[in-house]
Amino acid sequence: MRNILLFISLFLLSACMVTPNIQPSAKVDLTDLQPLPTPSISETPLRVAVAAVISPKGTVESYSGLVNYLGEKTGRPVELVQRRTYMEVNDLLETSEVDLAFVCTSAYIAGQRDFGMELLAAPQVDGGTVYYSYLIVPMESQVRSMAHLKGKVFALTDPISLTGRAYPTTLVTQLGATPETFFKRTFFTYSHDEAIYAVANGLADGAGVDSLIYDYALSRDPALSGKVKIIHISPSFGIPPVVVNPNLRPQIKIELQNLLLDMSNDPVGRDALTAIGVEKFVIINDSSYESVRSLLDGIPLLFGLP
Amino acid sequence: MSQNLLHRFWNIISSVSVRAKILGMALMLILLLGAGVTWQVLHSLTYIVQSQLENESITSARDLAARAADPILLNDLVRLQRLLVETQQNNPDVRYAFILDKNGDILVHTFGAGFPPDLLTANDAGSSEHHHTIILQTNNELIWDTAVPIFNERAGTVRLGLSDARLRNAVQSLTIQLALMIAFVSALGILVATFLTFLLTRPVRELVSATQAVAKGDFSPRLARWADDEFGDLAEAFNAMTTELGNTNEIRQEREELRRQLLEKVIATQEDERRRIARELHDSTSQNLTSLMVGLKNLQDSCSEPNIENQAESLRRVAAQTLEEVHDISMRLRPRILDDLGLAAAMEQLTREWQARHKLPVDLVIHIGQERLPGEIETAIYRIVQESLTNAARYSGARSVSVLVERRGEQVIAIVEDDGRGFAPSLSPNERHLGLAGMRERAELLDGKLTIESWPGAGTSIHVQIPISASSLEEIKGNL
Repeated sequence: MRNILLFISLFLLSACMVTPNIQPSAKVDLTDLQPLPTPSISETPLRVAVAAVISPKGTVESYSGLVNYLGEKTGRPVELVQRRTYMEVNDLLETSEVDLAFVCTSAYIAGQRDFGMELLAAPQVDGGTVYYSYLIVPMESQVRSMAHLKGKVFALTDPISLTGRAYPTTLVTQLGATPETFFKRTFFTYSHDEAIYAVANGLADGAGVDSLIYDYALSRDPALSGKVKIIHISPSFGIPPVVVNPNLRPQIKIELQNLLLDMSNDPVGRDALTAIGVEKFVIINDSSYESVRSLLDGIPLLFGLP
Repeated sequence: MSQNLLHRFWNIISSVSVRAKILGMALMLILLLGAGVTWQVLHSLTYIVQSQLENESITSARDLAARAADPILLNDLVRLQRLLVETQQNNPDVRYAFILDKNGDILVHTFGAGFPPDLLTANDAGSSEHHHTIILQTNNELIWDTAVPIFNERAGTVRLGLSDARLRNAVQSLTIQLALMIAFVSALGILVATFLTFLLTRPVRELVSATQAVAKGDFSPRLARWADDEFGDLAEAFNAMTTELGNTNEIRQEREELRRQLLEKVIATQEDERRRIARELHDSTSQNLTSLMVGLKNLQDSCSEPNIENQAESLRRVAAQTLEEVHDISMRLRPRILDDLGLAAAMEQLTREWQARHKLPVDLVIHIGQERLPGEIETAIYRIVQESLTNAARYSGARSVSVLVERRGEQVIAIVEDDGRGFAPSLSPNERHLGLAGMRERAELLDGKLTIESWPGAGTSIHVQIPISASSLEEIKGNL
C-alpha cells in the first residue's frame, strides 16, 4: 500500500518536473488597434545619398564615418539615403529630396544634362581623380578578351553605370554586335561588389567593374584575388564625383565643399576618408568628364538617355 | 489521524464484494495509468511545443531581419511590406510582424489599419543582441515575441510574434483523443474484469454451497476443477476432505449401529433371562414351596405333640413368607402379567404393589386402547416407569406420584411426575447412578426421546416419547 502511494507520488512529481514555467512578461490587447502617430522630426537633417556602387550594407559600413563627420561639423543630423539604382538617386537630387550625393560618373553626366546637377568635389585616389573599368573573369577562365566572352553570361551592374555597363557595351559594339545578341545572358547586380562576387562564384563568366571598388573589395577580402582576374583595363575616366542638388543654398554648398576639402587635415576626417578608400577630396571641373560624355554619346540608345 | 483514516479506508475496501474489488482494481489501474500517461504526455508535449515556438519565433525573426536590411536601407517599403506578408503566409503561426526604423518609428506592420499601442514598447533588443524573446499574454493566446536588431540596429529592429493557438489546439485535440482512448480502455477493462470476476467467484460460490451441504451432513457434493490454478487446487483439496469425512462418517455410523445392536441384544438377553428366572421361580420354586406348606399343614394336623405342632406351624409361616418373597422377586424380575395381559395390566399391578410397599399414593392414568403395543415398547415403557418410581421412592421424598401412559397416534407417551425435592439435571453428577442414562438409552434404542424436567425444590418430571414404527405394527397384527 505504502509502495503504491510512493510510486504514485513519484509519478506525479516527475510529471510536475517537466511542467514548463510559462510566465508572460506582459499583457497586450492585439484587437485594440489605434492609428500610428506621425513621426516627429525635430530638425531638418542634412540628407546624403550614396549611389549603389556597393551593396546597401557595405555602403552603411563605409560611409558611416563620413556621415558622422559631416553631422559633427555642421551640427545637423545627417541622414544616409540609399536607392537601388543610380537613376533613383538622380531623381532625389532633382526633386531636392537629398542635399548631397556621391554619384556615379555616368549619373553625373545625365544629371548635369537633365537638371543642372552641380559638382562639389571629387575624391582623390592614388594621387589622381580618374578611375577605370576593369573587365574581370574567373581566375581559372581561359577568356583573354571581350571577344572570348561571346555566348557567355555577363554581369552588368547598374543600367546607367559607366564602368559596369556603358564601357563593356562599347567593347561589344566595337566587335560589331550588341550585348543582347553577343552574350548568352546578362543580368544586373545593381552594385559593383555584387558583380565581383558573381564572377568569383561562377555565376557570371565576366563583368565590367569600377576599378576603385575592385581594388577596395580586394583589399577588404583578400580571398577574392585568387578567384578573379582582370583581362582588360579601360582608358581613364573622370572619377565619380560628389554633387549637390542645384537648389541647395549657396552658403551651405560652400560650407559643405570646405568641409570635404578640409577633411584630410582632421584626424577624424582622415579615418572617415580611409573607410571609403579616398585620400582626400579635391575641386574638380566639369571638363574632366568630357571623355566620358563623348563615350556615352556614342551609345545613346542603350541608355535611353534623352 | 492518518492511521484512523487508513483504517476506515480499509474497512470500506474489505466490506465490498470480490467482484467490486476486482472491478475497482482494474478501473483504478486503468484510470491512474491513463491519467498519468495523459498528464505526462501533455506536459512533455506542451514543453516541446513551447520551446519549438520559441525557436521558430527566433528563426523567423532572424530570417526576416536578414532579408529586411536592404529594403530598409534602400527605402523600399513596398518590398518590405511584401516581406512581412510573405512571412505571415509561409508560417500560419505568425500572429504579427512589424519593422521599426532606427529611430523606433514603425515602417511597416501586418495589423492593417491601426496598431496595438502597448505592443510597441513590450519588447526591445539591444543593438549587439542576437535576439530578445519574451512571452506576451493576449486575450486568448500566448505570443512568443522576438525582437532582432537589423544590421546592428543601424537599419532598425524586426519584431515578430508567434501565437501558440494552433499548437494549443493540436494539444487539446490530442487530450480529447487520449481521454476517449482511456474511456474505451476502461470499458474494455470493465468487461474483462467482469469476466475475470465471474471466473474467480464461481468456484468460491460453489465452495460455499458445498461447505453448507457438508455442515448439514451431506458429504456427497464434489467440486469441478474449473481451472488449473489455486482455486483448482482448493477444489481438489476440498474434494479430498469431503471424501475423507464421508468415509469417517460411514465408519462412525457403522460403529454406532453395532453398538446399538449390541445394546439391543444385551437388553433382550437380560429380559429373556429375567423372564426365564421369573418363570422358574414361579413354576418350580413356588410349587415346591406350596407343596412344602401343604406337607407342613398335614404334619401339623396329624401330629398331637404340641411341641412339633408349634414347630411345624412356625416352619409353615417361614415357607409362606419365602413364597411371598419368591413371588415378589419373580414379579420384579419380569411380571408375567406384562407378557400375558399387556402393558395396562402390568402398570396397574406395578403401581398397586409400589403403593402398598411404599405407602405413597400413585395416580395412574392409562390410555392406550385395547390393542397391544409392540413387545419391546411395552417392556421399555414398563422398565422406564419402574425405574422412575424406584427413584422417586428412593431419593425424592415425594408425597405423591402421578403416572400417565398414553398412546397418541403413532406414539406412546409416558410421564412420571413426583412432588419431591428435585435436582438440577445438568448439575447432576450421578445421573448414571440414578439410572437415568439407562432409561434414556432404552428410549433411544427405539428411536424415542426421554426428557427430564427437574429443579431443586420443584419436583421431577420424566417424559418419554416412543414412536410406534409401521413395521412393528405389522408384526403385532401378524401375531394376532
